Amino acid sequence: MQTAVEVKSFGKRFKKTIAVEDVSLTIQSGEIYGLIGPDGAGKSTLMQAVSGVLRFEKGEITVFGEKIDSEASANRIKRQLGFMPQGLGLNLYPDLSIDENIDFFANLRGVAPEILHTRKAKLLDVAGLSSFKNRAMKNLSGGMKQKLGLVCTLIHQPRLLILDEPTTGVDPVSRRDFWEMLNQLVREEGMTALISTAYMDEASRFNRLSMMHQGKVLDQGTADEIIRRTPGWLIEIESARSRELLPALNDAFEHVEELGDMIRIGGFALQSAEAERRLGMILQDGTESWSYSPIGLEEIFIQKLDNRSQNTPQMRLTENRSSHRKEAVSTDSQDTLIRAEDLVRRFDSFTAVDQVSFDVRAGEIFGLLGANGAGKSTVIKMLTGILPPSGGAGFVAGHNMATSSMSIKESIGYMSQAFSLYLDLTVSENIDLFGRIYGLSGKRLKERHQWVLQIGHLQKECNTSAGSLPMGKRQRLALGCALIHQPKVLFLDEPTSGVDPIGRREFWRILVQLAGELQVAILVTTHYMLEAEHCNRLALMQAGKVVAYDSPKNLKATLKQQKGQVLSLKVSRPYQAQSILESNGYSEVALYGSRVRLFSQEPETVGKDVAALLADKGIEITDVMILQPSLEDVFIEKIESSHSREA
Amino acid sequence: MSILWWRRIFALTQKELLQFSRDLILVLATLYFFTGEVFIGGKGVSFDLINAPMGYMDHDQSLSSREWLNKLRQPYFDMKGQVTDEKQAQYLLDEGLLLGVLDIPENFERNLLNGVSTSIGFQLDASNVILGNLADSYVGLANAHSNQEWMLSRLKVVSPDQMQVPAIEARQIILYNPDGKSSWFMSISEMMTVLSMLSLFLTAAILVKEKERGTIEQLSIAPLTPFQILLPKILAVQMILLSGIAMSLFLIVIPVFEVPFQGEYWLFFLVSAVYIYAMSGLGIFIATISKNLAQVMIVSILLIMPIVLLSGAFTPPEAMPEWEQPLIQLSPLYYYINMGFGIILKGNDLSLIWQDLLSLFAIGSVLFLFGIWLFHRQFER
Repeated sequence: MQTAVEVKSFGKRFKKTIAVEDVSLTIQSGEIYGLIGPDGAGKSTLMQAVSGVLRFEKGEITVFGEKIDSEASANRIKRQLGFMPQGLGLNLYPDLSIDENIDFFANLRGVAPEILHTRKAKLLDVAGLSSFKNRAMKNLSGGMKQKLGLVCTLIHQPRLLILDEPTTGVDPVSRRDFWEMLNQLVREEGMTALISTAYMDEASRFNRLSMMHQGKVLDQGTADEIIRRTPGWLIEIESARSRELLPALNDAFEHVEELGDMIRIGGFALQSAEAERRLGMILQDGTESWSYSPIGLEEIFIQKLDNRSQNTPQMRLTENRSSHRKEAVSTDSQDTLIRAEDLVRRFDSFTAVDQVSFDVRAGEIFGLLGANGAGKSTVIKMLTGILPPSGGAGFVAGHNMATSSMSIKESIGYMSQAFSLYLDLTVSENIDLFGRIYGLSGKRLKERHQWVLQIGHLQKECNTSAGSLPMGKRQRLALGCALIHQPKVLFLDEPTSGVDPIGRREFWRILVQLAGELQVAILVTTHYMLEAEHCNRLALMQAGKVVAYDSPKNLKATLKQQKGQVLSLKVSRPYQAQSILESNGYSEVALYGSRVRLFSQEPETVGKDVAALLADKGIEITDVMILQPSLEDVFIEKIESSHSREA
Repeated sequence: MSILWWRRIFALTQKELLQFSRDLILVLATLYFFTGEVFIGGKGVSFDLINAPMGYMDHDQSLSSREWLNKLRQPYFDMKGQVTDEKQAQYLLDEGLLLGVLDIPENFERNLLNGVSTSIGFQLDASNVILGNLADSYVGLANAHSNQEWMLSRLKVVSPDQMQVPAIEARQIILYNPDGKSSWFMSISEMMTVLSMLSLFLTAAILVKEKERGTIEQLSIAPLTPFQILLPKILAVQMILLSGIAMSLFLIVIPVFEVPFQGEYWLFFLVSAVYIYAMSGLGIFIATISKNLAQVMIVSILLIMPIVLLSGAFTPPEAMPEWEQPLIQLSPLYYYINMGFGIILKGNDLSLIWQDLLSLFAIGSVLFLFGIWLFHRQFER
């Protein structure tokens, strides 16, 4: 195989901050190569350098044999590149139609008219956009915008495709369609692709990848290789008495996470046999069932960072627990603290929220999931009383949102996606401001002030300005400020966007404690599907409607009943394997990097059939896994069936 | 309005002041506006004719011609000397090196002595209308003076008092600014203009900053009414700008330009506070319709121009076209200028200005309530 891109000890600094340090990687031609990591990992910087739009001082980058060291050499490779920047449809013109957008990019790239015609027809067909040609780009859904962006990037038949976070904020179905479209085009046109993502669960989509954090590469290779290199195990325990078990589990294992009705424990240093023994002792003769679960890149990422900095802060709400306990006990855990009844919100002719109903009980973490523009924020705005609904009713902490929005405002905490802090004020000033807005003063304010510093582990930073805190700490401060008046209801609007996996995990640990110990009802919106696992129950929104509403466990169980388990095969020629299976009557065969994936009620027998079929065609199977359906699978199924109901 | 209500207002006002104090550039700019800008306004922008550079072509070179030229003296004129010819004169005027050139013809003295009328040419650069007019009339005065002297000397009268002719003496009583110092007018005007700009812009800027950052959403979800959210901003702007006015008055206007403050200080500060209130209301309006700081700037400039032009600050209302005159009543600055100059220079008290004060307060309240209403509505989109 040929080398398409070679990066040798690349480094880039912006003034004093180091964006990327000593990164080397090689991308073979025909490969889908991933850069995976949280915001600020240096992914965009590296991609810009490869595209030749960023000067850099350290290292060497070669693209298709051309060393990029000058403006001239950068220009020489530019016609072979397609680059799509970060942000939904940011490179497109909102007022132009799909057709006009494509024509514009074609003219920009000097595509000959006769080629343009056939190429446009083909790309639109693959993208499923042919019937919307004359629709203005601003009226497209997020997923369609992203596909149009890809079509425009591909119109001049580039040899190397560079996509910066193409799937961020897109719903699961569009995300899957996007990957399918990409797989097909990369295969048919022999392109090479360099793609970045912040979602760790997309790792399996890449042939190979680099896992990045703060400008450095943590590991490289195929997802399987990386997982194999860091051997560890993950056990999921289903338990009705998870709260009682937690302290013992925390003592016995490195990683313990409470996810809704489930506890997940994991370890890297500890042998799994020893883990099983310890677990057996803790559970004793309980009725709990537990099973191994495949370890993901997210766990590996956290593990690798833990090894680098051992001093990740451990949150504790417990110091002040006694005073909260009293108030907590008074609320019955069955109390419904948030209730939405057929909420509707229309903006002119557009229905942003369509008959949304759900309820959230005290002590429950409720997830409101959906893509950007699905209507999550509008629901929160109505429930918090800053936006009157067009129809339906809502109750928060016993108050009707239509008649007593001021009482609602007093009894809720709210934290928005932007972490609404005053960045020019210090940590302490922020805390005091919000405390006083919520009517605290004197000794009580001092007490709560201390509490916020404690849960956020911010004691050392109390005189630092909020703007100079790192994202994770800023987010904990915002959470603390939202909790300053001990609300019974907490609204969190995309609280973790832009925070790295470690920050996210710590944040969720606090939320679980809040719900458990203080019986707070928490409504959280997110577009990270992995976070859905943390919720006790959740509602998935799609185009203003709730299309799924249950606990993650039930949702997965229902899908398992309907469609069976997931058969995942690692094969030598994945593209070919996919088309062979599809032509032999297997439906919904999905491609994940070098694996093919399909649903089956009898995975064992089907597995054997498939293996025989593929072996017949000379395709080698190196690994077979039978997996439980994930929440992502559930969401795809739910969204698609809601689409087909509409059609 | 319970204690809690006030406590919230206090907390938010304190926050605004803290945020202002952290913005070094904003603090320095405000300090400069109230001191440096007012100083330059009073000192630099002058409508007096001082040391106007003049040249002459004396073709006569006689005692009389020199005597005539000698009438154009400092501090009004600065005689730069002889200009050689017509061409050089034109050049010096074109370049703006001279304001005027006097041309004294040959036989100037002989004609005068022979009792023949003669003339002096005067070329004047009137591109600056005010200076041009002043120079023109001063030269005219000088010439009239010179003619009078000639006439008397021909009548053999040594001094006008010896003449038994009745004369009219004009006894002007120049009120409020007896020396006619334009620095008094200009420094006070400049202070008022600075206040107009800042009260509009500061309010709009601190509000739109919260909008840009998204913190306004947090405040809206807190148990605060729009009035409670907006009032602290206006209070903070009041405190900042009233301190600025105090600085202007006590550091620049009074000590540097020796403006005699005739009225009551408290009344002037009260009037200023009401004016800031009115302009802040307009600032809230600007912030609600703008999405970012750049839009705030554009809209502020758009609104400040008519407010200043219609205020009568530079053109007396009577001199405006008829259709414009009723609009003057809508400019908050019109009332402020009326009352401000009245208090500072004329010593007006409340009994003389209460009508203007009420009108200004009414305009301010309409703007403020309109701002609150708009602010309330903006979330419903």
